Amino acid sequence: MFWENVKLALGAMKSNKMRTILSLLGIVIGVASVVAILTLGASVNASIKGSISAGGLELVTIYPTGTSKYASTFNEAFAETLKGEVSAIQEVMPVNSHNALIRNGQNSTNGNISGVQSSFAQVLGYEVEQGSFFSMEDNISKHQVVALGSELAKELFPEGDAVGKYVSIFRNQAKSYLVVAVMESKDASLNLSYNYGAYIPYNTYTSRFMSVSSVGSYIAKIKSDQDPIAASKAITSYLDDLIGSDNYSLFSPATLSEMADQITGTFSTFLAAIAAISLLVGGIGIMNIMLVSVTERTREIGVRKAIGASPSIIMGQFITEAVVLTFVGGVIGITLGTLISYLVTSAMGWGMSISVSSYLLSAGFSMAIGLFFGWYPARKASRLDPIDALNYE
Amino acid sequence: MAISVISLRDVRRYYIVGDFIVRALDGVSVDIGKGDFTAIMGPSGSGKSTMMNLIGCLDTPTSGKVFIDGEDTAGLEEDDLAFLRSRKIGFVFQQFNLLGRISALENVMTPLLYAGVGPRERRLRAKDALERVGLKDRMMHRPNELSGGQKQRVAIARAIVNNPSILLADEPTGALDTKTGEQIMELFSDLNKEGRTVVLVTHNVEIGMACQQQIRIRDGKVEA
Repeated sequence: MFWENVKLALGAMKSNKMRTILSLLGIVIGVASVVAILTLGASVNASIKGSISAGGLELVTIYPTGTSKYASTFNEAFAETLKGEVSAIQEVMPVNSHNALIRNGQNSTNGNISGVQSSFAQVLGYEVEQGSFFSMEDNISKHQVVALGSELAKELFPEGDAVGKYVSIFRNQAKSYLVVAVMESKDASLNLSYNYGAYIPYNTYTSRFMSVSSVGSYIAKIKSDQDPIAASKAITSYLDDLIGSDNYSLFSPATLSEMADQITGTFSTFLAAIAAISLLVGGIGIMNIMLVSVTERTREIGVRKAIGASPSIIMGQFITEAVVLTFVGGVIGITLGTLISYLVTSAMGWGMSISVSSYLLSAGFSMAIGLFFGWYPARKASRLDPIDALNYE
Repeated sequence: MAISVISLRDVRRYYIVGDFIVRALDGVSVDIGKGDFTAIMGPSGSGKSTMMNLIGCLDTPTSGKVFIDGEDTAGLEEDDLAFLRSRKIGFVFQQFNLLGRISALENVMTPLLYAGVGPRERRLRAKDALERVGLKDRMMHRPNELSGGQKQRVAIARAIVNNPSILLADEPTGALDTKTGEQIMELFSDLNKEGRTVVLVTHNVEIGMACQQQIRIRDGKVEA
């Protein structure tokens, strides 16, 4: 009986093509916009998360912002303390940075001078292109050596071959630093940028470049088997207890990524809900056309009843017709919505994330609309008096 | 007396139209036996359509009893009436009333679908029925590709396909020319000779007299 009804429904749709198309338009537009919005939402989200996590979700940066009160807390040794307190941390590195003029002969430029430990490059996965990153010995002995970021190296040494040469770094007075390494290019993430940096040993920085006792920032690397969001929370709660939340700020790509998830999720759900209103309007269109169809086919209904169709059989026939109608509309809408998403994402260069749940949701929802808005016309059909229906002109 | 397939006992069917009560049937008692070929005759407005609706289980009486093949229709709900029609009644209409979007074969298969017969058997029995009415080579045609006589044959095949107790025809030749009408009457006569009970409703005396027996209705009552 079900397949006969589907066949009848398709026959009815085919016999009135223009009307079918027009009455489906509402559902098609509704489903297409729901699918497009959910797909675009997922795509935007993936794109945002991609750029957030580009630098590695496992890197958390902590910036002391407090006034002098806690300046003494944030010293070099605090890195070890923090690592000891939060078990999810693999490594904490203190970093101090300041901009300064760097010169090689006629070429000079502003660079970001960072005092870092010898493990810096290895911990961050920051690869050396030429030479080798300075050693722990360089740090302990406060050697005046520097590793140049790729862009900085290009500006100072347009002909290349920087390793083994000397550059001058200006801070009150010029000091000569031996270039020990040129680093490979590395994309900046939201909290770390690399290519315009010049990296010198931490102890050289504090004693020879700039006299500071406190630390500018700490880069904490979370163990690879730990959840970075939970680890960020653990760091936050430790620091809150220790010095209060006003005296530092913490930047965790994982936490941000989670936030982006929530924001885009809420936003696209909200938009999809608005789009769903057009599905409702489409449903009313379906109801309208089904009522017309029932009236037009009054005589057919009478005949079917005369040859043995019960009211529930007639009801089933017309409900099926409405559901088939909205199902077809749903499929067309999904196709259209996917097409729109494809066009928009490729125009914006986002990379499309297909949301399977949006397909199931809108196909299911449109069929539910068929069921809901088809019910009344179908019931009307099923309740027709067979004698009146047979005599209907 | 032979076994009654149709038995009406003091049947009244009243309609309320505005402030009036229309007594469409006013105390009718009739018996039609198994294998009879009966015409119900009368001018328009006589109540013969009402009687046909009652016999066809499309309607139930205001009072009195209608027995169809021994089953009392009084007080039956729509679902039960539909079930009764599906098993006991084969309708043939003046305007054929075929379903337009499907083939002759599918038209004939439809009553079997409603009776719950499986698809393979539906096809087989529908083909047999169409063969019986002489339309073996027109099975896949749609109604609009058939002549009036052919349409009525499809309708008759549809009426007999479920082996009903009663073949009930309402002015079956009314929309046909005389010659085609005669052929259709011949078909009814043949079907009757095979043992089917045929009830024909008509105002046409000539057609009525071609049946074995006649029941004449006037003003809601059976004429003596």
